[in-house]
Amino acid sequence: MMAIPKKTKTHLAELSRRDLFRIGGMGLISATLLAACSKNDLTADNAIASIGTIPPNSSLPKVDVTDVVLLRTAVSVEYNSIDMYTAAIDGGYFSGDFASTAEIAKRFRDDHLAHAETLNTLAVALGGTTFDCANSRINSLIIKPAFDLITAPDNPDVAFDTVTLAHAFETVSAQMYQGFVGQFSDPKLRGETIRIGQNNVRHAVILAQLINPGLSGIEPSADPATGIANVVAVPSAFGNLAILRVPFGSPNADGVKTSITMETPSLNALTYDFVSC
Amino acid sequence: MPAKKSVTPQAIPPNQPTEADLIMLNDVQSAELAVRDLYDTALRAGAFSDEQTGVLQLFRDHHTAYAQAINGIIGKSAINKRNESLYSSNSDLVTASTTSLPTLQSLENILVATHTTIVGSLIGMDAVTLIASILIVEARHAAVFGSAPKMDVASALNDVAASLVTSNSAGG
Repeated sequence: MMAIPKKTKTHLAELSRRDLFRIGGMGLISATLLAACSKNDLTADNAIASIGTIPPNSSLPKVDVTDVVLLRTAVSVEYNSIDMYTAAIDGGYFSGDFASTAEIAKRFRDDHLAHAETLNTLAVALGGTTFDCANSRINSLIIKPAFDLITAPDNPDVAFDTVTLAHAFETVSAQMYQGFVGQFSDPKLRGETIRIGQNNVRHAVILAQLINPGLSGIEPSADPATGIANVVAVPSAFGNLAILRVPFGSPNADGVKTSITMETPSLNALTYDFVSC
Repeated sequence: MPAKKSVTPQAIPPNQPTEADLIMLNDVQSAELAVRDLYDTALRAGAFSDEQTGVLQLFRDHHTAYAQAINGIIGKSAINKRNESLYSSNSDLVTASTTSLPTLQSLENILVATHTTIVGSLIGMDAVTLIASILIVEARHAAVFGSAPKMDVASALNDVAASLVTSNSAGG
């Protein structure tokens, strides 16, 4: 049987704390000297040397926010509305007290189709190309999450939430046109597009009246229990561009629904020339 | 497909109104003052329920706010007088119980049409953004007359109205 050698102290164990500091300091000085004396061209592209393969930087295409881009963005948002109404109608989400809303939704969808056609005509007249589908970023940030909450199996308010979504999105759509008037370089486009915006805001009024009907649903008011502002037909004296937070779906244990933030398209949601369906 | 136009840098429009803008803004301010006075005339006739009165007072106050806000853009050149022709041609209609609300709805649509024309003609951006924010709410007013207390979708969406200015006279 082989004898197990008695454990001996390692060199490391013999080092005092002072020795460790000394060695560490020497290492630091050596590294600094090596770095100072080394050549600058450590890598071909003058970047800091690194281990492994780094993919080359891919820069975004150079883009300008032109009148055509704004028009194509407006078209894409109109298609968001079209798809939203189609999903709600085909899915049978307008039911119960809101069963008759399906017919109103069909009328609104037709309006949005006409808006999209008008906007595409304006874009083509300016040398742009048409855009015939929804804005994917708006879809992923607003429409899809809202429908995911609305159609969850435990949601007791599918029809109400669908009308709420339609009201909020019509409001955001009208806000977009109001915001765009300050961005178009051609004054005539401001008039042509705000004409569409005022139609969308009428949709919002009708939907607000379905949610909160009668003359009491016109002026700004708040729920006496929660203090949260009610949906009303005329929420302010001037059209505002504030972000909306809209509750959907099944309430949690505290009775609070999940809110989705809705806002007009920002720079990362515009339909630039290189964006296609 | 038409040839793509090259993108040329656009001149940044001024914030302040031009001389031509001031003329248009005086026109829309006088229209707002006339409609405000027509709401007052309708309210004085007293043919409305308490709830209706509250809504009409709200809309009247909005038009007062619009005239004041436009006045802020016009400054010293503000004429501050109502459009007498618009007022006199509607003053009887707003006091009769059968025509009062339809007339007020029609007036809101006229303002929307007028402001839409002017938004497409103004140069100064402060005025453009202000008028846009006004016309969006006036479209709401018009739609309210069509949707409350009884829902009439066609009436709420009907925005057919003659603008008080033409795009040529508005400089467009």
